Formats: sequence, C-alpha cells, structure tokens
Amino acid sequence: MNDRTRVRLTVNGQPESVEVEPRALLADVLRDNLGLTGTHLACEHGVCGACTVLIDGEAARSCLVFAVQAEGSSVTTVEGLTPPDGLSPVQEAMRDCHGLQCGFCTPGIVVSMTAYLNDHPNPSDDDLREAMSGNLCRCTGYQGILAAARQAADRINAI
Amino acid sequence: MSSPVAARFVGSAVHRKEDRRLLTGHGQYVADASAPRMVHAAFLRSELAKARLNSVNIEAAKSAPGVIAVFLWSDFHEKFGEAWHGMLGEQLVVPPPLAIMDVRYVGDPIALVVAETRALAEDACALIEVDYEPEQATVDYASAAADSNVVHAAWGLPSNVMVEVPFTPMSADLDETFNSVEHVVETTIVQNRYLCVPMETRGVLASWTPGLEELDLIVATQSVHETRNFFARYLGLDEGAVRVTARDVGGGFGQKMFVYREECAVVLATKLLGRPVKWIEDRLENLTSAGHSRNELGKVRMAITADGVIEAITVDHVADVGAYTPCPAVMDPTLLPGPYRIPRLGFSTQMVWTNTMGKAAYRGPWMFETTAREMAIDVAARQIGMDPAELRRKNLLSLAELPFTSPGGKLFQEITPLETLEQALGMLGYDEFRKEQAAAREQGRWLGVGICVYVEPTSMEQATLATEGATIRIESSGKVVAFLSTTSHGQSIETTMAQIIADQIGVGYDDVTVVQADTQSTPYGPGTGGSRTAVIAGGAAHDAAVAVRDKVLAIAAHMMEAAPEDLQIAEGVVAVRGTPDRSLTIKEVATQAYTNAHTLPVDVAGGLEATIRFKPKRFPTWSNAAHVCVVEIDPETFIPRILRYIVSEDCGKMINPQVVEGQIFGGVVQGLGGVLYEDFRYDTDGNPQTTTFLDYLLPTTGETPLIEIGHLESVSTTNPGGFKGMGEGGAIGAHAAVANAVGDALAHLGVNVTSTPLGPEQIFELVQASQKERA
Amino acid sequence: MKPSQFQHHAPEQIGEVVGLLAQYGDDAKVLAGGQSLIPIMALRMATYPHLVDIARVPSLSAITASAGSVKVGAMVRQAHAERHAAVATVPLLAKAIPHIGHFQIRNRGTVGGSIAHADPASELPAVALALDARIEATGPGGVRHIDAADFFLSTWQTALDDGEILSAVEFPVWGAHSGFGVEEIARRKGDFALVGALAGVTLDGDRVTRACITMIGVGSTPVRCHDAEAALIAGGATTDLDEIGRIAAAPLTPTHDVHASAAYRKHVSPAIVRRALTAALKEARS
Repeated sequence: MNDRTRVRLTVNGQPESVEVEPRALLADVLRDNLGLTGTHLACEHGVCGACTVLIDGEAARSCLVFAVQAEGSSVTTVEGLTPPDGLSPVQEAMRDCHGLQCGFCTPGIVVSMTAYLNDHPNPSDDDLREAMSGNLCRCTGYQGILAAARQAADRINAI
Repeated sequence: MSSPVAARFVGSAVHRKEDRRLLTGHGQYVADASAPRMVHAAFLRSELAKARLNSVNIEAAKSAPGVIAVFLWSDFHEKFGEAWHGMLGEQLVVPPPLAIMDVRYVGDPIALVVAETRALAEDACALIEVDYEPEQATVDYASAAADSNVVHAAWGLPSNVMVEVPFTPMSADLDETFNSVEHVVETTIVQNRYLCVPMETRGVLASWTPGLEELDLIVATQSVHETRNFFARYLGLDEGAVRVTARDVGGGFGQKMFVYREECAVVLATKLLGRPVKWIEDRLENLTSAGHSRNELGKVRMAITADGVIEAITVDHVADVGAYTPCPAVMDPTLLPGPYRIPRLGFSTQMVWTNTMGKAAYRGPWMFETTAREMAIDVAARQIGMDPAELRRKNLLSLAELPFTSPGGKLFQEITPLETLEQALGMLGYDEFRKEQAAAREQGRWLGVGICVYVEPTSMEQATLATEGATIRIESSGKVVAFLSTTSHGQSIETTMAQIIADQIGVGYDDVTVVQADTQSTPYGPGTGGSRTAVIAGGAAHDAAVAVRDKVLAIAAHMMEAAPEDLQIAEGVVAVRGTPDRSLTIKEVATQAYTNAHTLPVDVAGGLEATIRFKPKRFPTWSNAAHVCVVEIDPETFIPRILRYIVSEDCGKMINPQVVEGQIFGGVVQGLGGVLYEDFRYDTDGNPQTTTFLDYLLPTTGETPLIEIGHLESVSTTNPGGFKGMGEGGAIGAHAAVANAVGDALAHLGVNVTSTPLGPEQIFELVQASQKERA
Repeated sequence: MKPSQFQHHAPEQIGEVVGLLAQYGDDAKVLAGGQSLIPIMALRMATYPHLVDIARVPSLSAITASAGSVKVGAMVRQAHAERHAAVATVPLLAKAIPHIGHFQIRNRGTVGGSIAHADPASELPAVALALDARIEATGPGGVRHIDAADFFLSTWQTALDDGEILSAVEFPVWGAHSGFGVEEIARRKGDFALVGALAGVTLDGDRVTRACITMIGVGSTPVRCHDAEAALIAGGATTDLDEIGRIAAAPLTPTHDVHASAAYRKHVSPAIVRRALTAALKEARS
C-alpha cells in the first residue's frame, strides 16, 4: 500500500516527473515536490478556492485532484501566469484595485479570474460576481476583487 | 527639529509594496518554509466535550510507518517554565500543551504525533486508542453560572464563573431616573458565536538546534516579539537565544495575537527531538480549536423621556469564555453609552466557562457594547413609536459639543458621531427610502433599514500596548531601510509606513524598504491589532524619519557651509532654500556620513540612523463611524439580501484612502457574515456542528453588496500625523446595522428582532411565532 | 487533513473496471471526477484501499445523440456537458448544471459521478428522475438499464449492485412546445440547495400534455411529485400554480440540518415549485 507512482506532468511549461503516493493531492505535489508554494491550501476540502490551478487550461481545485489523476496533464499555477517582466492584466488589476490584503487567497483568485476571463470576454458585473463566488477571501470584503475583475475584463477587451 | 514637510505620499493610494510578491505566488507564509531534517506534527484531539481519560494507548501509533515520536502530557511535564503572554499578564496562564487527566472541549489536544509527513502523522493519530469516561458537559453559557456541572471541577473550582462584577451603578440617581421617565425599555440582546477564520490557519515551524542552544520560530502570528518573549520564559532562555520571524501572515483578526498551547507543544517537541518540527493546522482544527469569538448576551435597560431623550442605560452582561480562553476579551461595559449624550450608566458582568472552545480576540473584541446598545435602540424606537434615526439624532454627540466625558469615564474629543450619521443617511436618502419601504409593503415586499453608530477606542494603552518603535537608516547608497516593530498580517504596513517615512525624509516612496516581523533586527512591538498601527507605529515611523532627516540636514549643512534651518529636502535632494543650485543629493550626504565620517564636526557622530519609541499624547485615540444597511427579505423563502450598505467614517487623516476603505470593506463583510451566514454551533452535548466550510458559511462575492463609503476627517492630536486607528470599525458596526435592518423589515409583522444569527430559518421562525401570537 | 493511503488503478477498458471491482469488492471505490469523493476522503469520513479511476476509459466520456434521447457517458465532465450541442436538446440538464457548485468544480465533476453519488440535495439525480432517464449499469453480467425512478434508494445509496458501475445515463428528449425550469434556494451562491424544484411541461395550446416536477433537499432522495404533475395536467396551463405547489409539498417529510429545519423546508416548498413551473411554462409558451 505504500507504493509510489511516477507521475509525469507539464507544469508552467516545464516537463516534470515525480514519484508520489497515490494519495498525494496535486496541491501538495506542486508545493512539496516541485517547490511551487504559490498554490495555497486553506481548507483542503474543496470550498475555499485558494488552491485553484489550471489543468489543461481549465480552473480546478488542486486539493480535489490526486496527482495521479493529472498524469499527462498540463498544469499552470499562479507562478506560471506571471509574465517574465511585470504583471499580467489580472495581477495588475488586482494591485490597482486593492484586491488583496493578506494575500493568502490571492493566488487562487488570480487563477480563477484569469480562467474565467479567458472563456468569457464580455462578462456583466453579475457574471463576475457569480464567477468569483467560488473563491473565499476574508480580508477585502470582495470589493477590490470585483473591481479588479471589471478592470481586467475591460482592459483585456481593449487590447 | 526641522519644520514639517508637505505630504507627497500620505493621502494617496500608492501601489502596495506587498503586492508584487503576493500576486505572483512568492509570499512567504509559514507553510511555505522548510528546514533540513524537518518533520511534521499532527494532534490527536478529544472527540468529547468532557471526559476523564482512563487510558491513552499509543503503542501502535509509535510503530506506524514514518513516525518519529508520539508525545503525551507525561513527556512534556516539567519540561517548561512560565507560560504567560505580556499583554495578558502573569495571571492568565496558557493551558498545558496536552490534556493531563481529562478533556474539556471537543478539540482538546491529547497527543502530538511527529512523523516524516503530515499524512503519516495523521495515519498514526488514527491508531491511537483513547478510553474516555464521558461526563456531563456544560454548553449553554446563559445557564452555566448556576450549572452544578463544573467545567474545571478537576482544578477544584466551585463554579463556572470566571469573573463576576456585581451590578455597579456609575451614577447615583439611576433608580430615580428609571422611576421617573416616560418609557423604560428592557430587552435581552444575544449575539451568536462566530469566528475570525483567517484564510491561513495557524502554523509554526519550530527549530531547536542542539549545541547552538537556540530556538528559531517561523510562525503565523500578529506579534513576533511577544511570541519570542513568551518562549524565552517558557524554555528559560535569554531573549537573544530565541528568534521569531513572520514575513507573511495570511490574516489574523485577533486569532493570532496570542500564543496557543499547540505552539507550546510543537516547541517542546523540537526541543526534545533536536530537529525542526512543523505544524500547519488544518481547517477542521482551525474551526474547532483556534479560538472562538462573540457569543455574549446582555439584558439592556434604557430610561427614555417622552421626548425621546435617553436618560440612562444599563446592561446585565454574560459572556462565554469557553473552557480555556486564549484571550478573555469581552464587552467593555463602560463603553455602553457609546457616542451618545446618555448621562447615566450601570452594569454587571459575568464571564463563564463552558465545555466549548475558548474565547479569543476578534476584530473589536469589546464590541458587544455596540451590538447591545444599537440593537436595543431599535427595540426602543419600535416600543416608543419613534423613528430609529430620529431617536439617535436626538441623543448623539456632535463635534461642536466636545469634549464630553461619558458616565463610563470616557473623554471624547475629535469625533463626529452625529455628523457621520447625517452623512450616511444623506447618502441613502433616508426619507425617500421610508416612502419606498411603505410602497413596497403595499406590494408585499419586505424592505428594512438598519443603523449603527459607534465610537471606537483605537491605540489603547493597556499593558504592553502603549508604544511602538522604529529604526530608520539611510544607507550609504542613499536608499532608506526602516526597521519597524510591527507584525503585518494584511494591513499594508510596508506601504503605509513607507508613505509616512518618504514624506518626512523627503525621498521617493520607492526608495524606502520596510523590514518588520523579525525579532533579531527590529525594535520591540507588542503586536499588530487593536487598530493601533497607524497611530502608534505611524508615530514612531514619523518621528524616526524626522530624526534621520535632521541628521541629513546637519551633515549637509556642514558640507555646504549653510545653516541647517536654511536647508530643505525634496525628492532626495538637499538644497538651500531659495538657492536651488546649491544642492547635494542624499547619496552624497550619505557617502560623507559613512565613508568620510572622520571629517565631520566632533558633535556629529556620522552614519544616518535613528531609533525612536513613540507613545501617543493620550489614550485612546477615538475614531467613529455610522453604518446604514438596507435589506430585502423574500416573504416566501425568508432569505435576506442586502441591497445597500453605507458607511460614513472618520479616521482622521488618511495615510492611504484605498487601504482605509479596504479595511472597512473587510470588516463590514465579517460583520454581516456573522449575522446572516456564519454561526458556530454546538449540540447540547458540546459536539461541534459546523466544522467545515460547507457548514460554517463565510460570505462570498454572491452575498456581498457593493459597499459605499463617505469620509469625514476630524484630525487627531494624539500623534504627529493626525491619524486615528480604524481597522476594527467595520466589524464593530456591521453586526447591529444588519440585524437592525432585518428587524426593520419585519417590524410591520410584529416581529421584535433581538438576537442573531438571522438566516432564513431564524427569520421564518420569528415570523411564524409572531403570526401565532397574533392569531 | 490528508486522505489515508490507497492503491490507484487506472484501467483503460470498461471490462477491466468491472474486473477490478469484482476483485476488490467493498475495498474498492470508483473514482470519477472526485469532487465529492476526495473531500470525504480528506476528512477521513471514509477510507478505501483501492480507487478505480475511470478517467482513462474512452467509452465513458462520450456523448451520443440518437432519436429521442441523449446518452451521456459517466465520465463526461459537467462543464463539457453544459456546453455540448447534443445536451442543448435536453434543456433541463443544461439548465441544472450551472447550479452545481462553482465553475471550478464543474470543470472536474462528472455527470455520472454526481448521479451515482446520489446526494438528495444535488441537481443531476433530480434531472434524471424528472426526465425518466435510464441509468446504464455495467457489471460482471454485462449491461443492464435501471429506470431513474427505481435508482435512488436513500442518501448516497442507489440500486447499483456490488461490482456494478454507472456507465452512462440516457436522457429523453422532449418534443416541441416544451419548457423547463430550475429553481433553488441556498444559503450562499453555489451551496447545496436548501430546497429546489426542477420542472418541465409540454403544452398543446393551453393544455399541459406532459409535466414533470422533482424536488431536492426535501428527503433522503430526490422526490418526484406525481400528484402535482397529474393536477397540472388535469387543470391545464392556467391552473393556480400555488395550488400545484401545495399539492407537491403536502406529502414531503424533509429532514433538518444546520442550515434549515424540516418545518422551514416544508413551508417554502410550494413557492419553489411554483417558481420552477412558472419558468417552465413561460419557456414552453415562447
């Protein structure tokens, strides 16, 4: 039962191969095996959204995915969403609109917002409110987060 | 001292210094840290609220795969010394790191397993066999004082009363007043149990290095210095042998202000094992075992004249402190009259133990005074047939009549209670809303408005809290590094303090780096909390920056053969006033100060560094606000929805308006969460019922209204910047504002809202009961 | 909060899946999207020595439309189903999916996993029940079909036999002049419904020729409201929908939890049914 399994992933564009217990969650493998500590764990039962990453381009809770399930997948974390210079439009909007305070939920917010805006180029304010409802934040009262989502959507559209 | 400088950065919403690392996944929280040979800890916790421990069998766990050690109380007994926190004093001892003979709440730690991974530690926990002998638990705090089941019977205590203050009239003519007024209003206000819930749970990486005999802690805390002092005492070490750091902390809200027994256990484990031990609390533990809050009730009485003048207010107050309280901060009854002209006060207080998780500080821990008063004012308004805004108007203090000393002995000045109420009501269009509400009722729609006005004591003086320190150094490059006594956990301290410092020295915001939360390099500070940073740490940053600027001017004066008072600094350049071509860059001055210090006059020491401790001119620094909330309740589903939320606040001079508003937003949503969504429940045997995020409901974007903020600015004279604290206010005001809005929406049905939470089920029950009563 | 250890099996054929389930019996659990199973395991409310991961069985991820029905493979992710052209012909399914959790959950969660999990507050079991879907079960003896009406036995309990896997669900396609409505109330956006109703009608002028009403959150399984359906068909499209709601709610015996009492759930049920039917009728008329 202590068998380890080899899992091959592409993470932020880099091929990775790790040996893990089948029970290892994708979040733990990203953090502990690959040193990508930007993906945070805040509930480990799939409610808070802090651990959100992209799996083959789609947002998912990495605490609700065993690493073995992601075999062969391409995973993008908050580190991978950051351009080499500066910040992404979503990250910039979050900074401009004070969408973060303690920063612990922030990586999940950035990933979710990025994924949603990729798929929904013209969201209404209500759409954004619904889209961001799967990520808990305890500091901002969500005002800055929703303002950032609006700004990012508008800027992405203007490009 | 040189003359004051013009603000360039204070008052503006500069980009936060914290944001780049936090937005890109490069924050450094305790869970992100590791150390060579690090091992992982998990606690086995009590499943029962009260029981004797007949036996704890750890044999199978000890031999489970990957297990390094399994600790019980007997392993830690006599391995530690004093266990008290500077702010709370020697009398309040942190409970033993593990249960001794019995357990007193669900979550009480019984054993600590250390293993190669957290998963293996949890596997081993599952193998520990505990033989409990259950006992009757005390859960209901309202009846706990009279309960013959005593939570701490094993300590020989006679009852569940921790603290009791008998009824104390603060005015001689209280009874006569109640006997002579037109209206006596009596109501019992109940505030439910809800929690801080920082998104980052508690956690510590503790490393004891044998030979070196030093303890290194990376910990999710609001105070690295008090944590260091605690563990120096706990292990009998000199403070210099303990280093505590906390680069990034994922929220605290009071929960991380103090030292917990779990952290003690982890420190003892690293000491005994001689290798680093990491404990990252999981969410189940955080919800059940990391300190609970609110959960207070008060019987409020008000004496009101026929004209609606409140002549007296009293409260008989009971607070639940749980089994072991990390911080027994409860209502401050001397604040009960709040920002009102109420001349008479009386109160009693009882703090009782129950077999539940203990009370911890939470954003405005004394705030039940506001909840009790503001909800009671709405009850009174309904009872005497007066509009609740009008009743408040009649009794609120305004800036013009200050200073005012309340019957609780509070000296109010530089606050604007009536002014904020009027601003908030104006933003809503209160009179129009009342018309809209009446028309909506005709259509069967239930709309309501709730008001809450409060005054907030920020930057209090108690125990360790009166001062903060700052060391500011201009390096030989001309760049500025500020070493502050603060421990930020989301308050934007790196940003706001840099704004103050840049202005006072005369350099760019980007030229300032702030270092904090490292006991080896920063001045002592008691911790970030109590809305104290802007005033006290801001004062220290201000005064240290001024002191460094004076050194720059002294050296530049020598270099330029000018008088220091003829010089000014702007954007990193020192120039003679009126002669801009006679100038030096700060870098040139710094080179002189460090590299050619021997050429300076004998009374100029060289270097460009100053350390200042700051203490405000008086305590506390008052700030204030008025909250107005509009809700609509679906008459078919009883689901409440907030339509508008308005805050008018006065925190004096704002360092960074975006940060101020962010603090208000966050506090308001915590407060409305506590009324409408969050409710930590136990069953009658003390079993927690809301132990996951599926049951303990934090608000999301889906429930959160747009929050509108108006600002008033009565400058404080307690500190050089004119600042007031404001971090807690949002959470203080929102509870009563939301509860009162629900009450107002239901008032026409004969419902009298006096308690929270107010989810659809509670609203349904209130409506049903009222209909039954009417029928 | 880490799951206990298990062995992970990743078969590529349905036959292998059935073989593994037969081999490990009660020690094995099927892993589809994992969005309900993994939190249960993380909380150690359940431990399974063997997980049979069905994500690599290609046949389970197919959506096939045929005359009168759409067959959705067990492993089809909810988000993919929501966007799929064939699923648009089963509007109740397409309308119900956005009510499940949040988009991050729907990207991983599967149609079959949700129905096999049989949570009485979740939407997809109710869709299956409302539409008289056929559940395809594959076991050691081959394939059999179970009517949705016979499938949901109790909370998290279904008519699947030991060793059987839900391999697909066949949803009937309703004809023209049909409309559907999903109405639910929850404490927060994305939470499990306190009470929900899923409704469908087919109109012939003002006559209701076909109706389905299923409620969630009001019992140990989704509940089909046959009496209310019959009353609606008997009364036509101008029937008092409040009365239909009351008929639907009358036999309910909801349970309570921390979020709502049984009395509350029962009390609000008629209005939820009325709202779902109002939406369905509106769509059928348009």
